[in-house]
Parts: sequence; structure tokens; C-alpha cells
Amino acid sequence: MARLRRLPNLPLALFFVALYVAFSLLSPRFNNATNIENILSGYSFMAILAIGESLPILTRGIDLSVGSTVALGGMILFDLSMILGLPGYIAVPAAILATTLAGVVNGLLITRLRLQPFVATLATLAAYRGSVYAISGRQLYPELGTKAIRDPWLLGVETYFDVGGATHLDRLFGFPFIPLSFFMMLAVLVATQIVLSRTRFGLDLKTVGGNPEAARLAGIRVDRTIVAAYALSGFCAGLAAVILVARMTTSTEALGTGMELTAISAAVIGGVSLQGGVGSASGPALGAFLLGVILIGLTLAGFSQYVQQIITGTILIGAVWYDRVLSQRRRRVAERLQGGEHASIA
Amino acid sequence: MPASPETPLLQARGLTKRFGSFAALSDVDFVLEPGEVRGLVGSNGAGKSTLVKILTGAHAPSKGQVFLRGTPLPAGAPLEMLEAGIACIYQHSSLVPSLPVLDNVFLGRQPTRRLGFIDRRTQRERAERLIAEHGIEVDLGALVGNLSTVKQKEVEILKALALNARIILMDEPTAWLSRSEVTKLHRTIRRLKSQDVGVLYISHVLDEVFQVCDSVMIMRDGRVVWNGLVSEIERQRLVDLMVGEKLGAASRAATHQERKPGGTGEVRLSCKDLTRRNLFTGVSFDLHAGEILCVAGLIGAKRSELVHSIFGSDRFDSGTLELNGAPIRIHAPGGAIASGLGLVPEDRHRDGLFLAHSVAENLSMVALNKVSRLGLLRRAEMNGAASRQIERLGIVPQDASRIVGRLSGGNQQKVMIGKWLEAEPKILILDEPTVGVDVGAKAEIYTILRRLRDQGTAVLVISSDIEEVMTLSDRIAVMVSGRILSIHDAGTITQDELVARIGGAA
Repeated sequence: MARLRRLPNLPLALFFVALYVAFSLLSPRFNNATNIENILSGYSFMAILAIGESLPILTRGIDLSVGSTVALGGMILFDLSMILGLPGYIAVPAAILATTLAGVVNGLLITRLRLQPFVATLATLAAYRGSVYAISGRQLYPELGTKAIRDPWLLGVETYFDVGGATHLDRLFGFPFIPLSFFMMLAVLVATQIVLSRTRFGLDLKTVGGNPEAARLAGIRVDRTIVAAYALSGFCAGLAAVILVARMTTSTEALGTGMELTAISAAVIGGVSLQGGVGSASGPALGAFLLGVILIGLTLAGFSQYVQQIITGTILIGAVWYDRVLSQRRRRVAERLQGGEHASIA
Repeated sequence: MPASPETPLLQARGLTKRFGSFAALSDVDFVLEPGEVRGLVGSNGAGKSTLVKILTGAHAPSKGQVFLRGTPLPAGAPLEMLEAGIACIYQHSSLVPSLPVLDNVFLGRQPTRRLGFIDRRTQRERAERLIAEHGIEVDLGALVGNLSTVKQKEVEILKALALNARIILMDEPTAWLSRSEVTKLHRTIRRLKSQDVGVLYISHVLDEVFQVCDSVMIMRDGRVVWNGLVSEIERQRLVDLMVGEKLGAASRAATHQERKPGGTGEVRLSCKDLTRRNLFTGVSFDLHAGEILCVAGLIGAKRSELVHSIFGSDRFDSGTLELNGAPIRIHAPGGAIASGLGLVPEDRHRDGLFLAHSVAENLSMVALNKVSRLGLLRRAEMNGAASRQIERLGIVPQDASRIVGRLSGGNQQKVMIGKWLEAEPKILILDEPTVGVDVGAKAEIYTILRRLRDQGTAVLVISSDIEEVMTLSDRIAVMVSGRILSIHDAGTITQDELVARIGGAA
């Protein structure tokens, strides 16, 4: 029992493996090095977004603005690099700082103005997207739109490592090249997992989401914890923006549109409860790759884009329903325990 | 340790709290010694909560001061009060259900190493030491949400002790506990006593005060009207002091009422072999017009689940329901209401009231068809209905536009009952109608239910309060672990026999 609790995502991981096997059987092009590489490079940034998204959800909130925040980070990178000609080692930290601040603004709207997280971040979803158009270097200098970013510091993010070649594992089977973004995702995952399970801040996050009144009475600085959760979500959106811009060697105003839906889905699929207080970092990451496997698998199996969106929506509904079932089961277990106690008295 | 033997552990001098011109608390003095359990009783609105809020630092008193071993404590400073060793266990849980016991015990003040990392080993050692010291048995790794209510209260006590609390305020700690759990909690309190912890015990349940408290303090209208040893006061005198002579007499009268087992003899509702898998099995009983049938049992006997199934807000797997002799199927609460059923649910905050809405709106909620025409609400009729019920139920203040969340517990409960009365149900089901309601309001609710009964309504009451069952019922059904064990005429069973049956004795 205790050991199972340490693996909260076991059913999800099993489902992941089953799905992977199914797609491999369905399409010969699924289980090969190139495709795995596509999944890793195509969904590592989404896993980072999902991990970031899970922090506000842990506090019983939600961050709908992550897609727009990604665009904001991307456009700031574009402007700093293309218009001002700043090197990547300045532009990248500056862009991430900006998206973190965007998260802080979300947090302040929620804690200071007492707005509902849903409303506050729905508003900033629009406002940040609008800001992207306002500061867009592509609009100000149309000729830049067709040029690629050549900054080596930024493009360095789009690097692949021949792990198979280095370890000679590629002699056994076709080993994919591993993108740097995957290692960035792993770093974010490990750091977040440690914060959640081993630090005061992580516990405060779960406490605030699990019982806000208890958190307040225990002297936890609830407002500060909430602001930090949204700031970290913004930080992760910044990282995702860097990865995306490095891949495309440019940015667009529409970058990240709709990504909040995928990130929230991945978090919920990964067992982060929308009721707050329950969640891990590995779950959302696994959830993101699960969505990736499904979407790429369906593409290879010949399904159209629209069908894929329908399926993403359906999976989200399924995951939310499962979350409800889980919390109901938790309640029922509690009741059964109570009942058992009475029985023993009788 | 005490500075001198004469210095009390906690002393309040001249505590006064005014909100505008209204004095919620006037000139309250009291002392609490180490190892003393002091009861605090009073009607809703007597000033108990205000006193607690001053002691926890949530409010600053307008006048007066609190001393801890002779040293004055800062006013209105929650964290300082906690650090001084005054902890409070609130009526509603202040634990996080999704976290393990260990994390809850040190909520907000986990021992940390550098960079905010939690020092798990120190935390566990300290928790284990506390557990050993105070003899509280609890699994530190269990999730709080999986614990029974009484265990959760013990975790809260442990949490208070982890703060080195020398004084623990308990605000209605037994409101959601069953009888055997209350006994367990009292055992824990006695152990705290032996550890020289001072306890201020607030309860509406007077029996508990007599069981567990050394001394008792009675408040009325913001003043302490009596203060002394429990052994020096009679129960009836205590009630009189709490609610005033007039209501006291009413409450006395409420306990001596003629019983009408079987009512008019006409069977209103008949349950035959109702079964819901894993919850209740083979439940059969008849409910007559003009009687009050109480379903007695322990919390967890699945009584609430049973009435929700009858009311259609939940389902049952097999068995039949008969209304006035004709079988019916109820699939949803709407159907139940149309058939003349009403249900006052257990948790008024969660299931029963729209707290942010006015008294008038709440009162007309289930009888909307009476106050609307062509789908449009008619304010005049709504207010008419509201003032009718306010008058009838004695809701205070008599203001239909008052927001329900601002009313006292007793008055909220009256609003809950009132909204059903407006629908004029033939059968009214009430689930724990007087939890968290003071003695005075309780007597009034009993009177209302009796009046309903005398008008021919069939009343089904679920209650875990034995005294209430003995006072109110015409017949008593005993339910244990999802089965009706026996049904008695109330006059033919004594309180002790009932307690034994509820405990599962055959």
C-alpha cells in the first residue's frame, strides 16, 4: 500500500505503455527512432507547461493565460534579438523574467483584487495576447518577419544529443537523438518534484489548495504562496517560449494559441486534482507525453486534425470525470473506515 | 512553570467588545488553571464566539486584557496568541484532508533545514514524542481525509500540542461526533488534564459539560451570569440561566409532552424492504400521519443515505415505497416534492441554504409555484410568505431581507424548516435538525415539529442525540449498520435501553 502510494501515476503509466504498444501495432512508422524523436521534441515543452500549470491548480486555481504568456515570451525574444540585436544570454533571461512577471500579475489580480482565478487569467489571456500584437516586431518592421533568428546562444537550445551513439546503445536498436528540451523538461520535473515533496513551499501549496482556511489559521502566507504558484507557471511558459522560438528561429503573434487547453488537460490527466491540494510533477509530464503519443499516433494512423481535437476534448472530459470518481472514492473510504470503527465498538 | 502558585494560567479581566453601539461582550472576567476543564455555555449570540475570537487574537477587545501567567498578552494578534500557547480547535476542521497526519500536525510550521527543505526526521521524532507523551493513537502516515471524525479531532489536538499549547479552546468539538466517539474524545481531554493543559470547552450539549468539565461559565447577552464548579449547579438551573426563565420553562415543558404513537392511524408512507447495496438492507417501516418517528442510531448507520433514497436525491436498488397505500417511484427530488415530501438535510451550509441570499428568497425556494405566475416571481407574495413563516417560526430578527449567512445557527435552522412549511408537505423528513443549535432554539424547533404533527403531518426525524430522540419522538426506530433493528413506542423504552440497542446489543 505504502509503496503503491509512492507511484501515484501507476495506472497512467500502464495506460501510456498500452497505448504505445497499440499504436506501434497500428502503424509501422510509430515505434521508430525518428518518431520517438518527434514526440520528445514536440512535447517536452508541453510537459514543462503542464508542470507549470499544475502549481496554480494545486492551490485550487487555474492559469488560462499560459498560451498568451508563451506568445509574450516569444515576441520579447524576437524583439530583443532581431530589433535590438541583443545576444541570447541577455534576451533569454529577459524573456523568462517577463513571463514570470506576467505570472506575478496573475497572482496579484487574484490575491489583491480578490478575482476568481478563472476570471483573472481569462482576462490576462486576452490582455497578454493583445500586448503581443502591440509589441510585435513583425508588425513594426515587416521585413524582419521573413528573416530567421541566427543568435547562437538562442539556437543552441535546439540541440540534439546522440545518446545512443555515446553509449553504443544504437548498436542494439535504432536509438533516437534526444533534444536538449527533453533534458530541460527533466530538470524542471525533478526540481518541481523535490519542491513539492520535500520543501515547506511545496507543502504550503498543497495546504492552500487543500484547505485555505486551515492554511490561514496555521499562519501560512496564503497570498504569497498563490502569487508564487502563478509566477512559476509564468516561468515555465517562458521556458516553453524559448524552446519554441529556438525551433522555429522566429516567433509569431499566434504562438501558443490554445496551448492552455492542452496544458490543463495534461495536468488533470496526470492526476492534479481540480479540487486543489493533490498532485505531483511527474503526473502532468506523463500526461503531456500521453497526449503527444495519442495525437502523433492518430496522425500516423491517418486521422484528421479535427478528429484529434475532438479526441483531446474527450480525453479531458474523461480525466475530469476520473478525478471526480477518485475524490468520491476517497470520501467513501473515509466513511467505510468510520463505519468500521462503529462496528468494532458494537 | 507558574511564577507563583496564585498566578493563574490564563486570566481575562474586564473583557469588553463593542461593535458600534452593540456590546457583544461586557466586562467578562474569568481564570483558567492548569489541568482545568472549564465549560462555556450560552445560547447562540450570548458572546461565546466573540470571547473565543478575542482569546485567539482574531478580535481585539474594546476594553480589558488577557494575562498568561500574569503577563499581559497583546490584543488582536493571532500569531502571538498561538506562540504564547493558546490553540483553538474549531467546529469546522482546520486540517488538510489530502495531506498525511504528520504534515497536518506541523501545518505551517514544519521544522526546516536550509533552503526550506523539510526536516522529515526531526518532524517524525517530534510527532512520535508527542504521541507517546499524550497517549494519542494515530497513524502518522495516514491521509487525514481517510480518518474518522474523532481521529481528525485528535489530530487537531496533536497539532495544538505540537505548538506547546498550554491552553486549548474547543469550540463545539463534538458537533459531528457520535456518542462513542464523544467518549473517546473525553478520554483524550482527561489525559490533557493530567498533563496540566487548561481546556475551555464550548458546547451546546449540556450532558457533556457535566461529564467532562470541572467548572462552568454561563454566558447570556455578552455577560457571564454564573461561574463556578459544575458540582455546584443543577442542570435545570443551568438551562434557566442560559436561556432565561421563560424559555427555560418552555424547554421544560417541551420535554413533558404527550406522545402519539401511530398518530391518526393512517399510514402515509410505507417502506418495504428498501435496499441499497453496501449501504442499507431490508429497511421496512410505516410512517403514520400525525406522528413523529425518530430514527435513532450512530453516525455512519446510513440513516442519511436512507432518507436521501426515499426523497429521490439518491436511488435504492430494490424494495418498494408506498404513499397513502399506493406504490410510487420517485426518481428525483422534484417528484418527491410534488408527492408532498419535504427533506431538511443534515448540513445546512452545504445542502440546505443559499447563504448569500435573503431570508425571503430562501423561504420561498421550494414553493416557488406558489409565489410565481407564468414563470415570473411575484415579490409581494414572496414577502407575504416570508413574513408568515418568520412570524410562525419566531425567526429573529424579523427581517425578510436579512442575508441568511448572517443569522445565528438556530435561526438558520428555522429558515430551513420554514421553507418546507411553505410547501405544506404531507411528509416532512428532518436529518439532525438541531445540530449546532442552542437549548432555547431547540425547544422552539421541537414545538414547531409538534405543531406540525398535531396538524396531521407525518414527521420523520433522524437524530444522533439520544436526549432529543427521547424528548421528541412518538415512536423510535433503531438503525444499526444499515438495518432497522427494532421499532418501539417511545413510552415503552428507557434511555438506557435505547443506548444499548443503538450500540448494537440485541
